Amino acid sequence: MIITHDLGKTYGNRAVVDGLDLRVPEGCVYGFLGPNGSGKSTTMKMLLSLVRPTSGEIHIMGRPMRRSTRRELLGHIGSLIESPPAYGHLTGRENMRLVQRLLDLTDNQVTQAVRTVRLRDHLEKKVRDYSLGMKQRLGLAMALAREPRLLILDEPTNGLDPAGIEEIRRLLTKVADDGTTVMVSSHLLGEIDRTATVLGILGNGRMLFQGTRDELFARSVPDVLVDTSEPQRAAALTARWHTSRLDGATVRLSGLDDKATAGVVSLLVHEDIEIHGVRRDSQSLEDVFMDLTEERGL
Amino acid sequence: MMGRAVANEFAKMRRLRVTPVVFVMVAGVLAVSCVEFTASGFVESMGDPAGKPWQRLLASMSFSVLMLSPILLAVLASRQVDIEHQGNGWLLSRTSGLAPGYLCRVKFVAAGAVVVAATVAQSGLVFAGGALVGITVVFPAGQWLGYTALLVVVNLVLFALHLLLSARVENQLLGMGVGVLGVFFAVISTGLPQWLSHFLPPWGYYELIKPVEYREDGSLVSLAPSYVSVLALGAAGGVLFLLVTRQFDRREV
Repeated sequence: MIITHDLGKTYGNRAVVDGLDLRVPEGCVYGFLGPNGSGKSTTMKMLLSLVRPTSGEIHIMGRPMRRSTRRELLGHIGSLIESPPAYGHLTGRENMRLVQRLLDLTDNQVTQAVRTVRLRDHLEKKVRDYSLGMKQRLGLAMALAREPRLLILDEPTNGLDPAGIEEIRRLLTKVADDGTTVMVSSHLLGEIDRTATVLGILGNGRMLFQGTRDELFARSVPDVLVDTSEPQRAAALTARWHTSRLDGATVRLSGLDDKATAGVVSLLVHEDIEIHGVRRDSQSLEDVFMDLTEERGL
Repeated sequence: MMGRAVANEFAKMRRLRVTPVVFVMVAGVLAVSCVEFTASGFVESMGDPAGKPWQRLLASMSFSVLMLSPILLAVLASRQVDIEHQGNGWLLSRTSGLAPGYLCRVKFVAAGAVVVAATVAQSGLVFAGGALVGITVVFPAGQWLGYTALLVVVNLVLFALHLLLSARVENQLLGMGVGVLGVFFAVISTGLPQWLSHFLPPWGYYELIKPVEYREDGSLVSLAPSYVSVLALGAAGGVLFLLVTRQFDRREV
């Protein structure tokens, strides 16, 4: 659905996005992750042609995103960037009517979008009286009304309470189930962990990882935990070759593959240190994300 | 696309207090112009061509326009554009395929139509007022309509300027400040020689389009308005507006 080649954006001497090769498959929920300031919003703005790339190319739905193709492509892309757009002096219904008229949509498309975000009962209220969650839902309805093939959402859960976050999650799942490709950004993995089928992790404007959840797990090697009768001596011995530290009565060794783990076990046995157990630490996706971003000093 | 976008601009004007602003613009000019009815010798002049009752009304109207238009046009432009800043409307339009400069041009068409209507209403109502109080002298249609046409051009140029200013600078106090300053420029241009008023565009042009003027001896003389200057102002204003809005189109969000 989205392919970018060597996409970059530079402000002065500062590269905000650098050599980005995005691959967003059709029909997926693409979780676009990264710490604040990592270049997520700039990338999304470039995809929507709101910001001109300094280098690289963008292809959406198989067509290059250019000035000449922009209007037509945008007709198939719903988006929610920064704060949700809406005119506060108008009601929700009047705001929806503006979008309807501008994009030449049918009444049915608008009704369907409003029903999807469950905003039907609040349409007669002025938007300035909406809560943030309601504004967010109205913004989503505006994005959905055009029945987009692609939905680009920049931190849609920002500022929402847990119930609001859950509501957005449910919505994204529903929209994706209906066949829309969703690209959603967040600086918190936990917010989109359960909805995203493909993840892209950005750090300092560069892609650190792109793939499925399982691939992300596979990329990170969990620590090896060794339970032994002499943890201090074991830690001192293994520290000569590996990154090792004491975690209570357990020796924690980082970055060991299976062969290195076998070597550590042999060494400890050779030194007559009793081993009570060797296992890999359990790791959450959040840990993997943190490892990946901290590794790069982000 | 343009037609739908213009219709949207009229829809956005709802609850934006455009009607009260336009009402003040029209009623204000009408009220100030009608003060002339109470001036000494006006009633006696209503049937006397030498008394120039229509010209006296024109003089009164051109003064009231000069006092009210700069600030009210600034308010009108600011109201149209501020909602885009407040409601993230630039982004909404852009992601719907409407670039910011295009949106400014659409706003100019929609709200510009309101400005034209208000200007014509001002002129028409002052004429109606004159007719109602019983001026029987032949109506100087050419002079009156010529002034109205030139006023439309100057008002539109000033309105376009304020639209651009409000779109470029998010803090609308700047536009309001320029509006107040505009009244000052317009007033001081009445005391300047005509050639100097050319250097205070567009506010100085309210003086250049003036169709009549009181001389120091109290006599009222008809003037030849600077049609060429005003047309040049309109053309230059139009080209500049297009250039600046084209630049807005390329602006990143």
